[in-house]
Amino acid sequence: MFSTVSLEKIFSLLKYDPNDPLIFSTSLFLFLFLGFLILYNIVGKNKTARIFLLIIFSLYFYYKSAGIFFIVLIVSAISNFYFGKWIAGTDKFPLKRLFLALALILNVALLGYFKYTNFILQIIGDISSRHIDPLAIFLPIGISFYTFKALTYVFDIYYDTLKPTDSLRDFSLYIFFFPNIVLGPIDRAADFLPQIDREPFISKEDIGRAIFLISLGLLKKVVIADYISLNFVDRIFDFPLRYTGVENLLALYGYVLQIYCDFSGYSDMAIGIALLLGFKLMDNFNYPFKATSIADFWRRWHISLSKWLLDYLFKPIQITSRNLRIFGNVIALVVTFFLCGLWHGAGWNFILWGVFHGVLMSISLFFKKPKEKLYKLLRIHDTRFLRFFQIIITFHLVALSFLIFRSYEMQNVLDMLSQIYEFFHAEVFIQFAEKLPLILGLILIGYLFHFLPAKLGLWIQNLITWMPLPVKILFFVIVIWVAVQFKSADIQPFIYFQF
Amino acid sequence: MISPELKKVILTELNLDDFNLQDETMAPEVPGWDSLNHVNIILAVEKSFNVKFKSYEVLRLKNVGDLQKLVDLKTGK
Repeated sequence: MFSTVSLEKIFSLLKYDPNDPLIFSTSLFLFLFLGFLILYNIVGKNKTARIFLLIIFSLYFYYKSAGIFFIVLIVSAISNFYFGKWIAGTDKFPLKRLFLALALILNVALLGYFKYTNFILQIIGDISSRHIDPLAIFLPIGISFYTFKALTYVFDIYYDTLKPTDSLRDFSLYIFFFPNIVLGPIDRAADFLPQIDREPFISKEDIGRAIFLISLGLLKKVVIADYISLNFVDRIFDFPLRYTGVENLLALYGYVLQIYCDFSGYSDMAIGIALLLGFKLMDNFNYPFKATSIADFWRRWHISLSKWLLDYLFKPIQITSRNLRIFGNVIALVVTFFLCGLWHGAGWNFILWGVFHGVLMSISLFFKKPKEKLYKLLRIHDTRFLRFFQIIITFHLVALSFLIFRSYEMQNVLDMLSQIYEFFHAEVFIQFAEKLPLILGLILIGYLFHFLPAKLGLWIQNLITWMPLPVKILFFVIVIWVAVQFKSADIQPFIYFQF
Repeated sequence: MISPELKKVILTELNLDDFNLQDETMAPEVPGWDSLNHVNIILAVEKSFNVKFKSYEVLRLKNVGDLQKLVDLKTGK
């Protein structure tokens, strides 16, 4: 009786549950991954067994979060594999172009149906002033990421910079690969496919780096992002008018840090987990708040997406409209970032966020030369002084954009800004620091680590590499223990500050 | 091998006195050759050599050597 109940419990835990996706920061993932890693190392020498084990675990990983919709994943893999084959298989350029167009139509249609149908219905309803009930469409997790991953393969074959693989199995592994299926990095087929053939060699440095990245990612995600969002940021964003400007501003700074720690933390874990399996994925973040301009921000934030957009969207538009010169660049920027916004979600807030970035970069195009002249005239060109102000201004523009990103209603943006400008009450900061020291401390630590020299991260990574194995394990156990403490901590009571 | 003519066009467009351009040199390695400026270099090359590239031909370029080959192809060298 007891064993039946336990088995049933285990079975239901392992079954698809839309409310319980298998994300890296869950204990279930850690448990399953450890078992998988042991098995992977046992069969590691045999290429076929290794690949099949990875495919099966990846499909299970996806099934756990998306259920039957793992079929979409398989359709994406098979169709893009054959599109690649057909594009490479013909010398006739119009035919290559036709296959590329068909591949694009299929991928965009799949993504569009699942992600944008209800948004389009809502727009139609708004225009025609009648209510249209949204359709019950399930959004398969990670579809934006693996669709873009698959498209790198098709595009690169079209541009003749990549030879197609003969193996549907290898290509499927590229699409299914569980570490980056849900949230990226959007790795390139050209970088990933050659790694499948190689027997995984994981050096001491790789293990050190993997433990560093997984620990860092876990702490960023659970200790900073989840904790400050639940206990602080969400409450202010939900009712900005109930709080002073200083709290609204802190919540905005908190949200910017939260979104960075959440997303980059997940990327760190993905890169670290892939490294333990012998795969090197591309970097995805490079201290984005150290950016000195919005263009620089995009060279540091979600790098795998910005490079994708640059290579497959921005450049084609830019080159096609090159006779318009600077206006060609403006068109390319605005269209690219409009679609970048739309890619992030089916909502006006995302579109506005993207267009805001596109417009900011377009404006800076026109001011580039006068700005340089002015800096030279003032003799501040290439100085620390200038860089400091550029970083501050860029950060606040980015923060303003994330305020738009986070707000489903424009009224929310206006409310928060009006509280900051008209109802600041700086003295409340003292009460905030006294009542919520942990929240303030986490925000400060988060930013402090971000702005410290990158060498510090490298130094910690080398220290972990140098540790003997038992110390490495102890270190990792401590990290998990800290994460668990934060995860299971009671929700902090929130105080309406008196002023 | 990058021809002196192509090198001159690129360096003039980028306001550079000198830079060692090799076949394998990629755009981001050259000061000022960023994604926004890229289009100006392509336009300058087209104008200087009196050629017209197809978008597809430009998009598949990986390095300066590829650009040299494309120029040679278009000018019939």
